[in-house]
Amino acid sequence: MSKYMSVLLDDKRMEAIKGSSLEEKIDKMFGGALNAFTLKLSDNKAKEVMDAFFTARVDSRGFITDVPIAFSRTLFEEIAKAKSLGDDVIDGVLARVDEIKEAAEKESEFLPVPEF
Amino acid sequence: MLRIETPPPHGGRLVERVVRDPELGKKLAKSCVAAYDIQPTMSKGVPIRNVYREIMSICYGFFSPVEGSMEKAEVERILKERRLLNDWIFPYPLVFDITEEELKDLGVTVGDRLLLRLKGKPFAILDISEIWRIDNPEELATKTFGTPEDNPEVVQEAFNAKMPGWVIYKSLKPVVLAGKYTIINEPKLQPPFDRFWFPPRKSREEYARRGWRTVIAHQTRNVPHIGHEFLMKDAAYTGDMEPCHGIIVNAIIGVKRAGDYPDEAIVEGHEAVNLGGYIKPERHLVTITLWDMRYGNPLESMLHGIIRQNMGCTHHMFGRDHAAVGEYYEMFATQTLWSKGIPSFGFPASVNDVPYGLHIRPQNMREFWYCPVCNEIAYSECCGHTKQKQKFSGSFVRGMVAEGIFPPKVIFRPEVYKVIVKWWKEFDFPFCNEKYVKEKEVRLEVDLPDMDI
Repeated sequence: MSKYMSVLLDDKRMEAIKGSSLEEKIDKMFGGALNAFTLKLSDNKAKEVMDAFFTARVDSRGFITDVPIAFSRTLFEEIAKAKSLGDDVIDGVLARVDEIKEAAEKESEFLPVPEF
Repeated sequence: MLRIETPPPHGGRLVERVVRDPELGKKLAKSCVAAYDIQPTMSKGVPIRNVYREIMSICYGFFSPVEGSMEKAEVERILKERRLLNDWIFPYPLVFDITEEELKDLGVTVGDRLLLRLKGKPFAILDISEIWRIDNPEELATKTFGTPEDNPEVVQEAFNAKMPGWVIYKSLKPVVLAGKYTIINEPKLQPPFDRFWFPPRKSREEYARRGWRTVIAHQTRNVPHIGHEFLMKDAAYTGDMEPCHGIIVNAIIGVKRAGDYPDEAIVEGHEAVNLGGYIKPERHLVTITLWDMRYGNPLESMLHGIIRQNMGCTHHMFGRDHAAVGEYYEMFATQTLWSKGIPSFGFPASVNDVPYGLHIRPQNMREFWYCPVCNEIAYSECCGHTKQKQKFSGSFVRGMVAEGIFPPKVIFRPEVYKVIVKWWKEFDFPFCNEKYVKEKEVRLEVDLPDMDI
């Protein structure tokens, strides 16, 4: 079964990709209430992500979830840089595993409360 | 018979082992030969269970007919047949475990009465009827939850260190002091838990006061998203000649896995559903049970059925992946137990249809999803737009919260999300993490009055 990952796009991220080819790849979720990128991972890449992060799991939709927030942030950065949703983006993220784990360690103690 | 009436307690009699007379409590405390300070069970330096929650749930009758820490023969029968020695069905071993050194220091033997202190104050007594050893806790843990080989109907993967319940049993200390518990110094629940404390006798009285004859229970360890809300609303259309009069949310309060919401946010999040009028308060009651979740899917659902039958509920809703973590169990394993049974666990038929089984009725529900075509929250067995569906995934929703993205109304009611943020500010984190779990086991959910003995 294929595995997927989702990257949610808030206003800041939408602004960052404005005018790029990535705009055509945005999925509208929940009646347009949420914007997201959906990545389809090859079996190898899915396994690499699962192995790299102890908390990662596959949810009932077949999506890999429960990865550190730093992972999602890095994934968006790599997507924006490569203008792609392919396995090359996951390679870019996995090359930064140490950086992600270091950030995740800090984020396991404290997350700033969002201001709306 | 169309009318469904309040079911009897499991085992026929509600267990209540709480001494409310302080003088009698002192007298019982003085009759103890030794005292033991309750501490949480630890794994890798992190609390994973506190036996005080089991003592509370046993003595207030949530686990009726269980009255104490189990003897060896009873544990063996549970692991083999999921039945107590008195034949009533029960899913899990419940034991008071200590180390050999602690046993030596206490110097107690069969027939002795042991004083159990909590937060340094007298809390309960244990009348020791047997002292036995757990030879191999890992084997006990595996037998507790099953294996793909022995329980092929529902177990998909071997349990391991990622499964919190398995770790709890694997971490048990080797000596078990079996015997009945009695609370001799009644704890006071702390806010916000105090207003959700409805032990079985009180909950039965509350249903009668509200005029509820039929009551459906909703199990939770989550802040409710819209999918949960629609599960509650729609499952409650069952009943007898009319929908269920009441919906009770029974939140499991105790140690949870990292990434679950804090207990405070869970109870107040559900309360926000009725305060916001999404299910009116006259029909909706939030309650708690103290228990460190084992995440045993079908087995946990059996315990949930016992708890809520003891609380006087007539129905229990069960969804996908009930009380589950990972993919150890098949996602509808609970519904299998409650519809046709799981023979390898000792149930050739539903737990309602076996001798000494349960009276509470299951309402097995499939899934709710958002359908952009119907433009509504749809039930999977009604909505035909399976290609367009957008499922509510708890972990997806948690990821959205963690990233600080304001959830749309189609995912969280604003009142519910405000509760998440309230407790996020309190704990500096929106979910259970190591810091929260460690601090919680110091704070607990209760305080005890002074008792000089």
